[in-house]
Amino acid sequence: MIDIVKKILGKVFMYSVIIFTITVSIFPILWIIMSSFKTNGEIMSGPFTLPSSIDFRAYKYLFEKYDFLTYTFNSVLISFLPTFLSLIFYTMGAYVIAKYDFPGKKLFFTLFTMTLLVPVHSRTQPIFSLIVGLDLYNTKTGLMLVYLSTGLALSMFILKNTFQSIPMELTESANLDGAGFWRTFLSINLPLARTGMITAGVLMFLTNWNEFYYANLLISTSNNRTLPVITILFNSMFTYNYTNTFAALVVVVIPGIIFYAFAQRYVQESMASAAIKG
Amino acid sequence: MVKLFPLKNIFDNSMKGAKIKTLIWIYIFLLPSVAIFLSFYLVPIVTVAFTSFTKWDGFNRPQFIGLSNFIKLFNTSVFYESLFNLLGWSLIAATLHVGFGVLVAFVLYKKPFGWKFTRAVFMVPNVISVAAWAMIYKYFFRNDIGILNTFLRLFNPNININWFFEAPYAFWAITLTWLFYAVVVTLLVMGDLMAIPESVREGAIIDGANALQMAWYIDLPLCRNAIGVGVICSITARIAMYEAIYLTTNGAGNTMNLPVILVRSIMDGNYGFANACAVIMLIVGVLTLWVVDKAFKMDEKIY
Repeated sequence: MIDIVKKILGKVFMYSVIIFTITVSIFPILWIIMSSFKTNGEIMSGPFTLPSSIDFRAYKYLFEKYDFLTYTFNSVLISFLPTFLSLIFYTMGAYVIAKYDFPGKKLFFTLFTMTLLVPVHSRTQPIFSLIVGLDLYNTKTGLMLVYLSTGLALSMFILKNTFQSIPMELTESANLDGAGFWRTFLSINLPLARTGMITAGVLMFLTNWNEFYYANLLISTSNNRTLPVITILFNSMFTYNYTNTFAALVVVVIPGIIFYAFAQRYVQESMASAAIKG
Repeated sequence: MVKLFPLKNIFDNSMKGAKIKTLIWIYIFLLPSVAIFLSFYLVPIVTVAFTSFTKWDGFNRPQFIGLSNFIKLFNTSVFYESLFNLLGWSLIAATLHVGFGVLVAFVLYKKPFGWKFTRAVFMVPNVISVAAWAMIYKYFFRNDIGILNTFLRLFNPNININWFFEAPYAFWAITLTWLFYAVVVTLLVMGDLMAIPESVREGAIIDGANALQMAWYIDLPLCRNAIGVGVICSITARIAMYEAIYLTTNGAGNTMNLPVILVRSIMDGNYGFANACAVIMLIVGVLTLWVVDKAFKMDEKIY
């Protein structure tokens, strides 16, 4: 009898934790989506009420009057291009560290992964001065340059592990067959490193897509702005038009969630990759 | 590992040539990563360390002024406010935040109905912009249109708390923007739980341990590495917490944090002072790592 009660209590507890977790994770997002369909008056009258009708007027307004297309394009460009380039760079670096013995190998890897310990903000002034000095303040190029350095430590770590998990015999037999450095890299190892590369790429893309700090610091005019920075500007622009503010928030939040839905496996792997480090 | 050194066949010139060629390619492959490391990590950190001892506006030559920046920083009340907040937030992160993550991990590990869905959904707050999340919470806590106060008024109709403006509440409002979002901890701990050898558990069952005892005496200690990493990650995130403050209170209501001081000093052109602040952040970060590492005995092998 006591055993059954205990078992039921255990189940109740477990499902309470599950329901609570789901609620805190998606309720705020559902709330802003719902509010973006309500009129200003409806929002003022109570946060729990449902919208009287579903219409996309607020979204249409944002894209027609406020050039959200430009911000979206900026965000895509500024997060994609640096991710693509640094993925190539870090893959090259991680490959030689994983597969070859050469002087300085340990040192380079240690230095690269140690960057994980450096708080983002502590590098602010030198990076700010660097970008201003290169005459790239308020340019997309300047921001993209900074984003190249996103995720150096974790990407190196993920990619090095990936290459190390590819059997060395493959490289050795390719060498015996007379394959040179490039052939061994491109046709033997690279195709087998796909999963690791996607994991690192997804991690860097999401970080860049969501980045606010440097995007806010290094960009000063609206034609170069990215979506996360626009949210805060909207806060002051539409002080009393809540519908538009909520719609703007939805536009910022939803692409990340859709991206995540497609790349869920890789996102999970990249987030847990710190575990291997510990 | 392809051994390049020692070159065994030193008299075979063709082999030697191939190896040197490979060596050159190796360094060419490393070059972009090294360039990024130098320009965005090493040079900035060295600059920060040196100029923290100078008076510098970014245009004129930095003037060496010894420890003045640090002394000035230690004499401001916002610095102590920041340290005090950081201490509070770190303690909350290490206990409640990580604790919640561990709890969810232990629940999901039992694979109840919907565990995969829960894990997937729990990740959502971590894949969207911190800035957007802070804004959502700002509206969540609004006195007029926010959810929280409307809900609280069900119990007490006279509640009128301006969460992000008033002193004792603002700290907690900011805390709530991250408190429950511990999915990284959950993933880390689940990884460790799955790695526990079946034989360890079987032994405990033979000894007559029940589910709770098993979780407490067997699973929890064996997950200490994951929990330690989780504590480090969550405290590091507190040191770097900027958006959640800048976009909500902007430091009002006793919610200052080191990055907020740093950014303000840069905007004022006090680069030396800003970098002194950055040095303190670096030191606090390294200290945290060291203390947690020792506390969780993370350098010792578990099995």
